[in-house]
Amino acid sequence: MQNVVERVLNLLIYLLESPTPVTSNEVRNTVHGYADQSDEAFHRMFERDKQVLRRIGVPLRLEALDPWEIDEGYTIDPEEYAIGDPGFTKEERVALSVAARMVRLGGAEAGVDAIIKLGGLEQGAAGIEPLAADLGEGADTLGELFGAIADRRAIEFTYRDQSRAVDPYGIAHRRGHWYLVGKTADGERMYRVDRISKLRVGETTQAFTKPRNFDIKAAVDSQPWEAGADPVTVTTVRFDEDVAWWAARSLGVAEPHGELTTEVEVANRDAFIGWILSFGTSAEVLAPEDMREAVAARVRAAVEQTG
Amino acid sequence: MTSRRTVSRLSRILALIPYVLDRSTVDVEEVMDRFGYTRDQLTRDLNTIFVCGLPGYGPGDLMEAYMDEDEVIIDAADFFGKAPKLTPAEALGLLAAGMTVIGSGEASPELESAVRKLTKAVMPDAETTLTVDVIDESRSVGVLRDAAANSKVVHITYRSVAKEETTERDIEPWSVFAALGRWYVLGHCRLVDGQRTFRIDRIKDLEVTNEVFERPQKIPEPGVGYVPREGDIVCTIELEPAARWVLEYYPVEVLSDENGSATIRFSSPDTEIPARLLLRLGTDARLVEGDEVRARVREMGASLLSIYQ
Repeated sequence: MQNVVERVLNLLIYLLESPTPVTSNEVRNTVHGYADQSDEAFHRMFERDKQVLRRIGVPLRLEALDPWEIDEGYTIDPEEYAIGDPGFTKEERVALSVAARMVRLGGAEAGVDAIIKLGGLEQGAAGIEPLAADLGEGADTLGELFGAIADRRAIEFTYRDQSRAVDPYGIAHRRGHWYLVGKTADGERMYRVDRISKLRVGETTQAFTKPRNFDIKAAVDSQPWEAGADPVTVTTVRFDEDVAWWAARSLGVAEPHGELTTEVEVANRDAFIGWILSFGTSAEVLAPEDMREAVAARVRAAVEQTG
Repeated sequence: MTSRRTVSRLSRILALIPYVLDRSTVDVEEVMDRFGYTRDQLTRDLNTIFVCGLPGYGPGDLMEAYMDEDEVIIDAADFFGKAPKLTPAEALGLLAAGMTVIGSGEASPELESAVRKLTKAVMPDAETTLTVDVIDESRSVGVLRDAAANSKVVHITYRSVAKEETTERDIEPWSVFAALGRWYVLGHCRLVDGQRTFRIDRIKDLEVTNEVFERPQKIPEPGVGYVPREGDIVCTIELEPAARWVLEYYPVEVLSDENGSATIRFSSPDTEIPARLLLRLGTDARLVEGDEVRARVREMGASLLSIYQ
């Protein structure tokens, strides 16, 4: 690793300081660490080092050196390379440092890599912080998706054994999972990020326009029974006193003092019936009659199935 | 060779250099705290910087980097005047961390303004393209966090997730954490005299007492998930494709998994949890083994049907 670190640093300095793009041959003959390698070994090393630079966040570009595009050279624009200054105050830096260490993503502290680049962790962030959060899966796919969303690049991936082409609009962490929302040929769709495989991000930036009024919160902000294709049924439900406060929190209505009778707009009957039955006998659908029958039918089917 | 380690080592070097260049004197201890270095790691990275530089690689081309007493010195490295840009993954990580803490209702105004500035810097429309929601519907996360920080005993009214049972108990909160999209409090429960994890949205009422408890030296890693115990009720259930979500929501043992259907072994402290699950799944699940659970499904089914007569 020591050799790689030194070589990549030398390569980066060379590319940042070269006024014009340089060919891979020039790199090979100039940058310390590449000399005395066979053609094959050099190409392997150079490919890997470019990969390392990109993963650090270095905007490495390949540009034509002549109008006929016969020769191409590598270049890094120092202005594009440099991190911007968000203009944090000292207090804001402390607050971000604390948050960065509290939240985990893919088993690592979610924000620390970013904080390091932004000038390191502020002290005062130390001490016992009894609050923590785990946002589940790793940042690799999420990072690629986030980059594609930022640059408006089209993506393709495999999902449930099928290939999908999506214009990615946004990502959301909801109920313990990450979701991607984007536009497909069949309209807006939502995908669970941990089920996305073979992700390919398109080369072209600004490949699509995102609707101005798109809001990820509105796109994912629904309970399971609200998101469905069933005709909306206004359903009246009564919850016993001991679960009413808890149901009220899920429904987003004021917490009652006694029992709760309320109306729920149901667009996914299956999900709704499942949720109601999770309350056992402490919840009852009062109306309409066909919803009552559907609940009873589910119970009968379950009892029959169980034997 | 792990290229992830190479990448994070280089990222740290490229952040360290501009930090030191920007300041007239930089203390070794401060650099170690700020960038998470041990002294050995810092020495090694400074030695690496010292042997790199402009082509030619003669004395005038290489960067200067060393420790002088308690000071970190770096010079002749003007091309590294700024750290590299955040990668999308790094930006996402920090934004998500900030948004999570804001969602807990525990954020300071400074964090909110910091996240706004960061959003503006990395992705101007991030507010409509990224949302991280670990909602605290109960608004109790902050109170419990403070109780944990001050080692105060808390009296709670708790609605068990599994059973139709509301209990009152005194708990000694150790830590508050979010996982699987919900907030939890981990601590010692005096009612059962053992370590317990409670879902905060299931805490109906709480009262922080004045009693101070002794915080254990070592707090266990927070985590959710049921660990099977001796004396558990065990049953075997076959799941249709439509009921596969059960695999993600319950800690189950998967016995077979073919063509979208799965057979699982389900352990729980009582029959109530699997019985409720079977009732809500209807024809999407089938109980293969477990007579106690079967009896419970019948009994619960009968009382439910009596309501809907």
